[in-house]
Amino acid sequence: MLVRRLRSTLLTLSRRWQTTASNTAIESPSASGHSSSVASSQLFRITRESALRTPGISWQDEESDRNIVGGRETRKMNLYQAVRDALSIALAKDDSAVVFGEDIAFGGVFRCTMGLAEEFGRERVFNTPLTEQGIAGFGIGLASMGHTAIAEIQFADYIFPAFDQLVNEAAKFRYRSGGHFSIGGLTVRAPTMAVGHGGLYHSQSPEGFFMGASGLKVVIPRSPIQCKGLLLSAIRDPNPVIFMEPKILYRSAVEQVPIDDFALPLSRAEILIPGSDLTLLTWGTPVYHCEYALRLLNSPPPSLAPLIPPSLRSAKVELIDLRTILPWDIETVVESVRRTKRLVIVHEAGMTGGVGGEIAAEVGKRAFLRLEAPVRRITGWDVPAGLQFEKFNMPDAVRILDGIMETLSY
Amino acid sequence: MMRSLSVKYSPLLTRVRSRGRALSTQPTSSSLGCLPTTDSPVVSKLAFFNSVTGDGSKIPSYRVLDGSGIPIEGAEVPEACISEQFARRLYENMQLLPTLDNILYNVQRQGKISFYYGEEAAVIGSAAALADDDEVLAQYREVGVLLWRGFTLDRVMAQCFGNHEDSGKGRQMPVHFGSKQHHFHQISSPLATQIPQAAGVGYALKRDPERRSKNVACVFFGEGAASEGDFHAGMLLASTLPSPTLFLARNNGFAISTPSSQQYYGDSLSARGPGYGVDTVRVDGNDVLAVMSAVKEGRRRCLEGGRGVLVEIMTYRVGHHSTSDDSFAYRGRQEVENRKKIDNPITRFRLFMESRGWWNGTEEEELKSRLKQDVLAAFKRAETLKKPNLTELFSDVYSEEPWNIREQREELAGLLQKYGQVWEPWRNELKIFEDEGKKLSD
Repeated sequence: MLVRRLRSTLLTLSRRWQTTASNTAIESPSASGHSSSVASSQLFRITRESALRTPGISWQDEESDRNIVGGRETRKMNLYQAVRDALSIALAKDDSAVVFGEDIAFGGVFRCTMGLAEEFGRERVFNTPLTEQGIAGFGIGLASMGHTAIAEIQFADYIFPAFDQLVNEAAKFRYRSGGHFSIGGLTVRAPTMAVGHGGLYHSQSPEGFFMGASGLKVVIPRSPIQCKGLLLSAIRDPNPVIFMEPKILYRSAVEQVPIDDFALPLSRAEILIPGSDLTLLTWGTPVYHCEYALRLLNSPPPSLAPLIPPSLRSAKVELIDLRTILPWDIETVVESVRRTKRLVIVHEAGMTGGVGGEIAAEVGKRAFLRLEAPVRRITGWDVPAGLQFEKFNMPDAVRILDGIMETLSY
Repeated sequence: MMRSLSVKYSPLLTRVRSRGRALSTQPTSSSLGCLPTTDSPVVSKLAFFNSVTGDGSKIPSYRVLDGSGIPIEGAEVPEACISEQFARRLYENMQLLPTLDNILYNVQRQGKISFYYGEEAAVIGSAAALADDDEVLAQYREVGVLLWRGFTLDRVMAQCFGNHEDSGKGRQMPVHFGSKQHHFHQISSPLATQIPQAAGVGYALKRDPERRSKNVACVFFGEGAASEGDFHAGMLLASTLPSPTLFLARNNGFAISTPSSQQYYGDSLSARGPGYGVDTVRVDGNDVLAVMSAVKEGRRRCLEGGRGVLVEIMTYRVGHHSTSDDSFAYRGRQEVENRKKIDNPITRFRLFMESRGWWNGTEEEELKSRLKQDVLAAFKRAETLKKPNLTELFSDVYSEEPWNIREQREELAGLLQKYGQVWEPWRNELKIFEDEGKKLSD
């Protein structure tokens, strides 16, 4: 309901955006794959009113009794500006907070820390030498003393030297000490997922590797508002959190973001588009390919129409953004699948060992007799992210569309 | 203190006590003996130390030519290996690097390739000191080694464009070269991972009767990468096992935006060498003759001792970190311009050659023009070539194809059959591949 109202509001504002805000047939976009899904998305909250009505927003300032929505301001921000805004609030409100990593001081290779060293000083916002294992260990140490340690790993592809610290130390810190030592103040941020030209080592989605590290939380935002609220929650959560930001969204995702201090809940998925015939579950960049796939399904362009049976075109697919990958919101997902009876999971990481397998197993257990089709996973292939082949490796709107149709007609 | 020590290390020191010598009369360290099972002499004065040079001074840098290409006082120009022909070969290769850089930087800006890194003249001197079949493991600024060894511009472009001539089959970002033929191991983006690998390569060479005492493993890395744990691991293994591994550290003052003052606190990387017990030298990296001499000697010691050797090559990164970087965001333009003027490795060597009568202005113009033409020709040719077969997306993961990859390949084949010609983005994308995606189901 809210989303439909949003859509009709957006129709009148949509002239600012490139394409496709209408409910007539979608024209096939000019190539360049990924960012076209993002560019044509209607999921972004681009007005102040819609931004302030983001579901689950919890204002964190003293004036939170000020529930007159009209009283709060928003500012147009992309994803890296939203990161920066969250970090700025954390640093301003928490004297123990420090932000560190490689190339942080001049603003960061993705500009997430622009101006913070100037504003808060080099003792609180600083470069470390080039050592991920060092960054993670150092952050754990800081956090063990009750300080707020916000570490950055420059690319998620380089998180592996820190794996020992994160899995053997951070994840087990509270448990191994009988609850006496803990490192809730640790947050590790890393840019993740494909970017169009990253090749093997600037495109990975390593969230699956951490599923076995109970004690860690893993969060992946899809948009600037989500990023700011989830990051502030992650920083303040009493558990160590790995916060992976889809790098292709740093510039291309833009919303009106509330400038105040707010939180969005961890371990709560969000239903973006309600539906009844199939549950489509994903996180990060593929949220937009999924959205695009649903538009293709409901209003196919002439080129695809012959391949999309008319009977399927009226299918109402429920699109869910998982947001927190670990621990994940099993309630929302299972409740949805019990209603729709079909589940398709989409993620960029490879099929084998990917998060989708874990979810499929749990859903299969809890909704076995309700399911009318096997749980379908649409993922990156089990191959490294070859540069020239990226467009046929990462799941895009047409692959997702095909998987949906196959599951609907099972 | 003596009593407690004697409890722990009783045999030696109780003998000392029993000879009746009082503590306060122990004048020299040698008379106190050593700690048991070590050569560590005992001293009675508590004194901390923090210097490799013994007197707190900085580790010196070896240089042959000054800023004007004239040998400095006491320097020995390595005559035996500098003939006019050799000098020209050095110079041409050095000059090729900025030519390549300028063109490929612009090509990246035009969106024709996705990415590029600038290269360093210091590398040519190193390459010239190695044997052509020494195994080289590089980081990403060492295409000079490949060029020295005869890697063609066509192959450089093939890799940068990821076209079907690329031996890497279009899988990696530009400048991630590899060539079995040239004994140049495939580059990967993660930093320093090649360092412990090099220790292993060296060990393999040592074990191979055909190559032992003939070849070393040579590993390049920057001063930033040397902060990684892998640096410590590699140095430990090469020094302790040991293995004949030559560590060539390019210290160019920056790791993206991080200046070396924020990368380490000690006397940079050279100070670490003795920590591992390996022969170490620091050299002026913008003096190609000094680099060549130092690496040559380092290589000799490495082969003879069968153990790690560290050469720290001091230079300055005049370019941006890569095409994704604007270095004027973190350093002044004037600093860069000054370094380019006063400490240019190419200029210094050219002046040396001119002083020998081996080079002149006309040849300079002719060389620059020829190199530019060569690079442009290779680039124009590579630009037009198709990318590898789409099947290469799935091949080489394992030596054989397991069920999951086979199924996924077949799934994509089916999808391409269904949508490949009707969905415009796919139709256009398929055209770039040699097989146009048609060979997937073979």
